[in-house]
Amino acid sequence: MSSDAAYAKPLPTVTHEDREFWAAAREYRFVLPKCHACGHVWFPPYASCPACLSFDRGWTQASGRGTVWGFTIMRQPYIPSFEPELPYNVVLVELEEGPMVYSNLIGIDNDDIACGLPVEAVFEDATDEITLIKFRPV
Amino acid sequence: MSDREFAGKTAIVGIGGSDFARLYRTPDPERTGEALATEAIAAAIADAGLEKSQIDGLITGGLPHYEPVAYRTGLTDVRFVVDYPGAGRMCAMALMHAATAVHHGLADYVVLFNSVVFRSQGVKFGAQGQGLLYDTIYGMASPGAQYSMGFTRYQAEYGGTEEQLGAIPVAIRSHARMTPGAIMQQEMTIDDYLASRYIAEPLRLFDYCLVNDGAVAYVVTTAERARDLAHPPVLIAGTAGRANFREWYVDLGFWDEACRSMKADLFDPLGVNTADIDCLQVYDNFSVSVLWGLEGFGFAPKGQGLEWVQNGRIALGGELPVNTSGGMLSESYLQGWNQHAEAVRQLRGQAGERQIPDCDWSLYWCLSALPGASLLCRDGLL
Repeated sequence: MSSDAAYAKPLPTVTHEDREFWAAAREYRFVLPKCHACGHVWFPPYASCPACLSFDRGWTQASGRGTVWGFTIMRQPYIPSFEPELPYNVVLVELEEGPMVYSNLIGIDNDDIACGLPVEAVFEDATDEITLIKFRPV
Repeated sequence: MSDREFAGKTAIVGIGGSDFARLYRTPDPERTGEALATEAIAAAIADAGLEKSQIDGLITGGLPHYEPVAYRTGLTDVRFVVDYPGAGRMCAMALMHAATAVHHGLADYVVLFNSVVFRSQGVKFGAQGQGLLYDTIYGMASPGAQYSMGFTRYQAEYGGTEEQLGAIPVAIRSHARMTPGAIMQQEMTIDDYLASRYIAEPLRLFDYCLVNDGAVAYVVTTAERARDLAHPPVLIAGTAGRANFREWYVDLGFWDEACRSMKADLFDPLGVNTADIDCLQVYDNFSVSVLWGLEGFGFAPKGQGLEWVQNGRIALGGELPVNTSGGMLSESYLQGWNQHAEAVRQLRGQAGERQIPDCDWSLYWCLSALPGASLLCRDGLL
């Protein structure tokens, strides 16, 4: 999907903690922080490991696979730039590696979304700098 | 904190609060949380039969800073101050703090309150910045959407319908209609519930708490001092907390572990069990919070809570009345504080037409990012 200079929806505020995550996404790679000290994999990309508090952080390639833990169909225009898409889905995906991520499910009718559905990551360019990770049914 | 030695050694002796319905009808951009708090504090001190000069402890909630309200209330001899900037889910924690303070002599009479001006200031509970899981870039907004995801998961695991869930807000609305000052006074049938619009499907408008203005204050002291005051003391049998902090807010086990842990902390030292509880005054930010707490605390069998709440079981006159003043769904979103005020009225026998006969024990829980709970009872039971 091509980037759109007029992308109107919210974008992440990239910081020193997650810059590498977003840089990888730009290259269509889904990476997760991994602790060199204890091996724990976590998300969001805090600079330190929530399991052992080590700051010795590396990155691991995620499989991109997971299952839908829960979902909701948004009906209220909380975020003005999302209003044209109402009703849209938001899912909480349990990644194979353990972490939970919010995302949107594409390539499926909202009525067909179900908990436990196996999904895989897909990449959507939002701007020249930011590529969003979304999911589709496997 | 809930051991046998501490249980019942402290009491809520005064309650005061706003006329929520009047404030709701008259939003005012000049309204301040400090003024609402002052009114509630004055009412709570008067209700206790105390003089203001006797107050030597202050726990503030919901305001940016403790000083402005301390100046307004003219507290001149204070030994203990705690400031909870956002006191919503902190209600049980603030009560725990007040009780331990008076129990250990840090203060003799603690005033604690929560004060909010959400409606007049146009506060929205959605799209509040990026969110820890990059929420807004995916259009994820509002706590209700998080509870909605929890409900789709619950339905996948245990079944149950939206119509069944509606029994919770419908029962709680029937209580608000008997409560002076409650905001939502119109009758609500299950058909009215089902006709209300989805906010974050499958949750509807009437699964959501109100957003309003108001304050509630309590006075807490030792049980010994309480027995000399204006009303029968309402004893603090225990308070408990159990947080499993996760960025997605809704616990993946519907707070089952937190509930079991808090129940053990509150009930076990006293030999109390669920059959002893006469009413629940719980944090109904969303209808599903009530459902999950009923199962977690063992009132309803796991996965059968939606069936359990049918046929008036949680309405006044039923087996276990829940939120007898209308809770946050229909009385006022004072974030657990109006629930404790109602518990005090019930345990004093002052709930008017809502009075539960022989009400001895009232349980509170809040299932949020910071779960808390409290157990209150009549004097003489501990």
